[in-house]
Amino acid sequence: MKKNLPWLLWLWISAVIVGAFYYAPLAAKFIGKSSRILYFHVPMAWVSFTAFIAAAVWSVLYLMKGRQERHDRAAAVAIQLGLLFGVLAIVTGSLWARIEWRMWWNWDPRQTSLLISLLFYAAYLALRGAVDDPEKRGRLAAAYALLGIVVTPFLFWVMPRITFSLHPQPVVNADGKVEMDPRIFQVLLASTFAFTALFFWMHNLQCRLQALVARKTDEQE
Amino acid sequence: MDVSGGDIWIVAVNLIIWTGLFLYLLRLDRRLREMEREP
Repeated sequence: MKKNLPWLLWLWISAVIVGAFYYAPLAAKFIGKSSRILYFHVPMAWVSFTAFIAAAVWSVLYLMKGRQERHDRAAAVAIQLGLLFGVLAIVTGSLWARIEWRMWWNWDPRQTSLLISLLFYAAYLALRGAVDDPEKRGRLAAAYALLGIVVTPFLFWVMPRITFSLHPQPVVNADGKVEMDPRIFQVLLASTFAFTALFFWMHNLQCRLQALVARKTDEQE
Repeated sequence: MDVSGGDIWIVAVNLIIWTGLFLYLLRLDRRLREMEREP
């Protein structure tokens, strides 16, 4: 069963791609077919958020459970992937903004808050690169990633809701309601699940790869 | 479901990109499993 899970994911994401174009209708008040990007942009932003929160959780585990290297590695990989998905969210968002606002970038609160968030986590990687001692690096990086528990929800959820923004309403709006066509919501939800699963698969592969590299390096020394 | 429009090309390109990424990850997964088994 476990062996077939990646194939299930392949089928799932393929169905999302087809569903985004042939099942979900075009969203109202959007220019042309620009709303199709929603099924890729929103899940990427979601995965980025999930990755940063997961990194904070692994950092707590690192600090609380005897400074195990695997927890430190898991946190660092989550942040690397969170940055990757965050950049993809920015790129897909800019493509949409070019069609809808006639500008690639206009410092909208949502664009800006995601950018600040990515810069915050890029600094995490810089911090890791600046410390040679693994024990000290793990401790400092974990403390920094823990800050993300406050910073990330504020930038992803609070900031865009307390400032005026041209960005379309979030999936769950300020009144706590989902106001969109059910078929759009179904494909969006399916896409979000699929990209979250893809993130955890990539995370697992990258952690195993780094563990192997560390083992081989130890063997050579 | 209308598959006659220009969207079919966008869907096809998306599927090719996704399948390429998927096969790469699958191969990496297999390779890692082999290397993990090595003493």
